[in-house]
Amino acid sequence: MINVFLNHQWKAFWRSRNKGASIAAQVFLGIAILYLLVLALAVGFGMELLIGKVLPEKDVFYVFNGIILYYFAVDFLMRLQLQELPTLSIVPYLHLNIPKQKIVSYLNIRCLFSVFNLLPLIIFIPFCSTAIADVYGPLVSTMYILAIVSLCIFNNYTAMYTKRLTTISVKAIFLVVIIIVCIALLEYYSILSITALSNRIFSLIDNYPLLGFAFLVAAIAMFRLNSIYLRQNMYTEELESAPVKRTSTDYPFLDRFGAVGVFLALELKLILRHKRSRSAIVMSLFFMLYGFLFYKQELLARDEIHMMIFAAIFMTGSTISIYGQFMFGWQGAYFDGLLANPMNLKDFIKAKFLLFTCSATIVTLAISLYGFISWKILAIQIAAYLYNIGLGSVIVLYFATRNTKAVDLSKGATFNYQGVSATQFILLIPYLLIPYIFYLPFAITGNPYRGVACLALAGLIGLVARGYFVSFITNELYKKRYKLAEGYRER
Amino acid sequence: MILEIKDLKKNYAGKTVVDISHLEINAGETIGLVGNNGAGKTTLFRMLLDLIRPDHGQVLSKEKNVAGSDKWKSYTASYLDDGFLIDYLTAEEYFSFIGSLHNFSSEYITSHLVKFEEFFNSEILDKGKYIRDFSKGNQTKIGIAAALLQNPEMLILDEPFANLDPTTQIRLKTLIKSLKENNTVTTIISSHDLNHVTDVCDRIILLEKGLIIKDLNKDENTLNELETYFSDKTIV
Repeated sequence: MINVFLNHQWKAFWRSRNKGASIAAQVFLGIAILYLLVLALAVGFGMELLIGKVLPEKDVFYVFNGIILYYFAVDFLMRLQLQELPTLSIVPYLHLNIPKQKIVSYLNIRCLFSVFNLLPLIIFIPFCSTAIADVYGPLVSTMYILAIVSLCIFNNYTAMYTKRLTTISVKAIFLVVIIIVCIALLEYYSILSITALSNRIFSLIDNYPLLGFAFLVAAIAMFRLNSIYLRQNMYTEELESAPVKRTSTDYPFLDRFGAVGVFLALELKLILRHKRSRSAIVMSLFFMLYGFLFYKQELLARDEIHMMIFAAIFMTGSTISIYGQFMFGWQGAYFDGLLANPMNLKDFIKAKFLLFTCSATIVTLAISLYGFISWKILAIQIAAYLYNIGLGSVIVLYFATRNTKAVDLSKGATFNYQGVSATQFILLIPYLLIPYIFYLPFAITGNPYRGVACLALAGLIGLVARGYFVSFITNELYKKRYKLAEGYRER
Repeated sequence: MILEIKDLKKNYAGKTVVDISHLEINAGETIGLVGNNGAGKTTLFRMLLDLIRPDHGQVLSKEKNVAGSDKWKSYTASYLDDGFLIDYLTAEEYFSFIGSLHNFSSEYITSHLVKFEEFFNSEILDKGKYIRDFSKGNQTKIGIAAALLQNPEMLILDEPFANLDPTTQIRLKTLIKSLKENNTVTTIISSHDLNHVTDVCDRIILLEKGLIIKDLNKDENTLNELETYFSDKTIV
């Protein structure tokens, strides 16, 4: 049965409308993954050497033990953002003579095939089976491997479970964000050290190897929890909340924008009234935490701000890139209706720009709190903000006129992860690289802040030329209207 | 003449779906489009509304190519399928959105909706539901009403009777007939229900595999003729 499912997915992939883009994305991903695996292999076998080189004064085992949990903590965050949930639109299978358990098993097994589950094994197992086996003996070595495999599985299913919960309820998203922020803050201010914790736990295994089974138990428990959750939520209907009285709403503050305001109100209602779009927005708020990862005092002191530009662009434009990458597809379900009605395409596009500008402004105001770390951050963020509203939104909308895949809003959120994965990020490469065209020439010649100013200026010019860009995107959309409508009709 | 079709062709995967060399539709006519599944009715409608690109030929609305200008949108209203509905809005919100595209005031829309009271059978307004939560039949009612709300000169409805309950089907027929009375609205509807079509329309166009097989002005024999045609069809 699992073969049949895999076969159907295979067909779904090859027969999909966006085939070109998804194949290109897969090839790119494949190369990136290969590169990562080679790196991991080198790290794995060179671990002893590497630790000796980087931290010569410390005990190799002490460092190794400290790394493990730290790795898995970062791994977990990466999984939350990048690991794809296994997709299988289950509705066509539910009424057939297929035991539900089989569908659950398929979803569970499928999500193990991920590079995230391979990397830690390649990185850690060589060291466990050589250095640790030599010093502590085969039993400890086996238990280390068991612990690492279990942690890997535990992380896998915890990430899946968290993702599933957060796609259903906004409350869960806030909870997860709060927990992550707390842990990040504790680590940032060295109140709780993941490294120390990791060290303590793995030193225990050195002394009492059988404790390694605790990891296995945790992994099995998480796996069971996932299965039970999936099994119980197979009724797609129950994922929807009970009927409540809906009321018509007006946004009087949008009246001043005239026809543009009407379209913006339409889009706001779209965002607020669907789980899928709501969680896209909330997910993009996640990115406001990137600052903690990228803004480092010592880098600021040395003016090494390359990566900070990236972080600032991602944060200030998170709604633009995350919501915007599916643009027009969100409205795919009624695109025919829009086209057949006497609407002004220009106003329609203007509303998109207005939406992007408003959301980027709100996010930028919120993250200006990072300015307390240094004024330099504030300058970078303002430049990134100007880039986003001036040029970034144009790039995203331009690519959107080539996205013929409708976002399926009608389904509940749990079994509908269509498109929320690494593949979409690849379309954003130009969006993230173009800023460096303005920044790098100055940065290389030793004037990074002139580069920042140049970026800001480019954004400002884009903003001034917005009238032109609106017409440009409108034209693109008009030219592509048949293709888009046809793609969206195929739901 | 409000609508003219010239040499219109559309192929899908090497198969001709629509192939109409010439068709003229005069203002004020009520036209019924009949034909089995796959006859090309919906494809034709989509080309009338510039939703798909014809492979050949053109559709002229008031002598202007629909693919080239947006002018026809100001006097043409249509409802083909639920792809025309914005299903996360309440019915009232949807009506006011459609109305705003024609610059109608909300008072005007409210007063206009009163006309549909009977057609709605008090199942549409003030229900506290998004369109997506309405039944198929009620969604169709919303789509048809939104089209009529626009006071069109040209009305295009694809299978309006499907999904409607018997009472509403009869009321819809009354509505369409009332549009005919002042002779200003041109209506094109498609339907599988030969009784309804012959009851409402004064001209019947029969499509098969994209070709116009018959183009009849309705008289008392039309229903018989159509029934004979469809029942005599041999299995190909």
